[in-house]
Amino acid sequence: MNLTRAILRKAAWSVFTILFVIILNFFLFRVLPGDPARAGIRDPRLKKEAVEMLRVRFGLDKPVINCFESLNPITLGDCNVNPLDTQFFIYVRNLTQGELGISYHTNRPVADVLAERLWNTVLLIGAGQILSIIIGVALGVFAAWKARTYLDYGAVAASLVAWSLPTFWLGIILLFWGSSNGFPLAGKATPGMSSMPLLQQWGDIARHMFLPTLTYTIVYLGEYTLIMRSSLVDVLSEDYILTAKAKGLSAFQILKDHALKNAMLPLVTVIAINLGFTVAGAIQIEAVFSWPGLGSAIYEAVGRRDFPILQGAFLLIAIAVIIANFLADLTYHWLDPRVQVE
Amino acid sequence: MKQKALYVFVLVALVLSACSGAASGQPVTVRIGWAGSPDTLNPGMAIVVEAYTIFELVYDSMYELNLDGSYTLSLAESVEASDDGIVWTYKIRDGITWHDGQPLTAEDVAWTYNLYKDTPEYPYLNGYYTPYFDTIEATDNNEVILTLTEAIPNIESQLIFLYILPKHVWEGVDKIEYENFEMIGSGPFKMAEYVQTEFVRLTANKEHFSSPPKVDEVVFQTFSNQDALVQAIKSGQLDMITEMPNTAAASLDADPNIELVVGAPLAPGVTDIIFNQMDPENCPTEEGGICSGHPALRDRDVRLAMSHATDKQMLIDVVLLGLGEPGLTLIPDGLGVWYNDSIEDFAFDVARANQILDDAGYADTNGDGVREMPDGSQALNFRLNWPSDSINAPRMAELLGEMWRQIGITLEPQAVDPDALTAQCCPAFDFDIMIWGWASDPDPSALLYVYTTDAIPYGSSETGYANPVYDDLYNQQQVTLDFDARKDIVWEMQRIVHEDVVYIIPFYDASVQAFRTDRFTGWITDQAKVELADVTSLTRIEPVK
Repeated sequence: MNLTRAILRKAAWSVFTILFVIILNFFLFRVLPGDPARAGIRDPRLKKEAVEMLRVRFGLDKPVINCFESLNPITLGDCNVNPLDTQFFIYVRNLTQGELGISYHTNRPVADVLAERLWNTVLLIGAGQILSIIIGVALGVFAAWKARTYLDYGAVAASLVAWSLPTFWLGIILLFWGSSNGFPLAGKATPGMSSMPLLQQWGDIARHMFLPTLTYTIVYLGEYTLIMRSSLVDVLSEDYILTAKAKGLSAFQILKDHALKNAMLPLVTVIAINLGFTVAGAIQIEAVFSWPGLGSAIYEAVGRRDFPILQGAFLLIAIAVIIANFLADLTYHWLDPRVQVE
Repeated sequence: MKQKALYVFVLVALVLSACSGAASGQPVTVRIGWAGSPDTLNPGMAIVVEAYTIFELVYDSMYELNLDGSYTLSLAESVEASDDGIVWTYKIRDGITWHDGQPLTAEDVAWTYNLYKDTPEYPYLNGYYTPYFDTIEATDNNEVILTLTEAIPNIESQLIFLYILPKHVWEGVDKIEYENFEMIGSGPFKMAEYVQTEFVRLTANKEHFSSPPKVDEVVFQTFSNQDALVQAIKSGQLDMITEMPNTAAASLDADPNIELVVGAPLAPGVTDIIFNQMDPENCPTEEGGICSGHPALRDRDVRLAMSHATDKQMLIDVVLLGLGEPGLTLIPDGLGVWYNDSIEDFAFDVARANQILDDAGYADTNGDGVREMPDGSQALNFRLNWPSDSINAPRMAELLGEMWRQIGITLEPQAVDPDALTAQCCPAFDFDIMIWGWASDPDPSALLYVYTTDAIPYGSSETGYANPVYDDLYNQQQVTLDFDARKDIVWEMQRIVHEDVVYIIPFYDASVQAFRTDRFTGWITDQAKVELADVTSLTRIEPVK
């Protein structure tokens, strides 16, 4: 089997998918009704000339692509315009130069906005993911090992409850609890902290992260526990586990050397998918705790028809998901050589 | 593994508790929570109201708007106007400095006004506030001479949002892309720290010429969740909140350490029920007009009947939980003297409403409970749309449906994404009735414009109302220099549009704000309007001893 070639082929597919996303991203938002230059602004002081100036500035006065003046409502246009004078090719050209454009709403480069938001999201969701994976897997292993005892039933019931909790509801409950216990209720840092020593700044961020991370961990750990448990219960009923027991190995050794690696397979899929979407953030948690992450940036941008932000954010998410899946494929192969990397 | 997790948890908890201790001798900080955040700190490019609040605190302008609706000179110590109202000479105060220590001179003022006038990319400042500017010059003796193209009655409101910028900073930057994070101004507060969509931290400029603050710092923290906002002021994490769900008002009022203020907002906003009266014959098709409105709504009798059948007090009680006043026209009570309070509204009287419709020939011929057009062609069944981000509209739509059903009118209610609604609204006129609203200016001219025929192709007219008498009056008030004469015209205009039932204005929402009395005293609460985030309050409050 030629591993290198298989990896290359997967990589090529990934690149192809990203190209497809780039094209789709552009048209996806332009079929929405509405005019980004007005973006629902209800103010008689905004004159037609001013709106026109905004459209020129954002390049919205140009045809969307050859033959189409706009996509919603669909207006046919000149097919003989210079492609480089259409919104689509300007977008592609800017992308090839690493240019994501200027946000319509904040008047700032999209790359700057997304970088700030991405870091916040990765920080919050990353911590939540790691915690929920560690605790969830540990709980799953424990439940599987004690399968069909009251401890197992308790763990399964708790996971089911945690998994089915509505995120925003749990968030609000924790927010009310946290407000009477001195936890900050909004944002990522206390204003004015930036002049403090670094250690204190980190402590401040950790305090702000506590409630949203706790919410995230509780909501996600149930899923990991349930998958881990059922997968491990399967594996533990296999003959070779019986053999291992017969050899006189300790419970810990059986788990560590024989069962866990095989039981991890389905979990890796779920973790990979979830990690990919980490970038998209958890809009509900970000909204409840006013966390300035990527999820809320996307939510705000949709309402304002801030195309450059949306295009940039969706590209980022697509790339993250594709990379996570690519890595999952490779991990499969490492965990279970029977899985052919094809 | 589990033990390890527990260990990590304990460690984290330890670190967290270590950081919560507050050191003494810290600056006195006012913490304000709000639901929005500035879009940009570049005054030319900014659109949202939160940005203007920050500008108001960090910059100075020629005039200041007082809470009673009057204006006082701010940067200038005196002003002289030529008899024809064309040439305005402002004498700038001596000894004012920028936050970076440089002196603020007439040259800065003239340079800034020219910048706003010559940058068409600035949506409001250029588009709305500078069209009457002809030339602006600074003279040697610290005077600015502003020459207008024609005399206007409202120079104060035209200048208040034109914040004076430091020429030495702005000269060398790209006027459009400049993000202005350092924000060197001359106002009562200095920009200290800005994290977009998180917070704005300002420190006091104790050397300010007219209103040096008594506190050291003000922080505006953005909350994307209004329940968290309420919880934060209850638990003492905030000293003031500038907005809240009306449902929270009662519980905050009951808190002994929190004072609630209810009043007309400083920045006027208005909720309206829009009738599409656009006649398809005059449809602005070139601008994308579709003009699919129901023909019955072009009949004043139908609109009048609907107005009589609308129980405004019930809407206020149910939708706003009582926190509002019945509305008359687009000019809200918050505009002070401009608001015509002499108009008598159409009384809530269902029998009379039915009578009007009967007399006008709208009968229910097929007995299904819904009236038809006099020629029997169409039932009085209207599409009702509202922006999906509106909190109040769904409940209003439900109530209106019940109220109007009693006069044989039915609705097809549907929420629409705000941007899609803009596309549907104007100048497309592809709707029957909408619930929406406007934000505006302290001067009535902006909102009065919405009723003009001129505004139809511009997309500012949402009703398609066209009345030459009204249009004449609009043009007159634009050039009437005498205050009382202009006021009379503005009042007459409101009377006309009320009489014609162009809209139903259900209510003027009150602004509801809350602050903690155990931290600061001196909030202004006894004025006709409330604006707790306004300079006047923030420069007057002092910590409780």
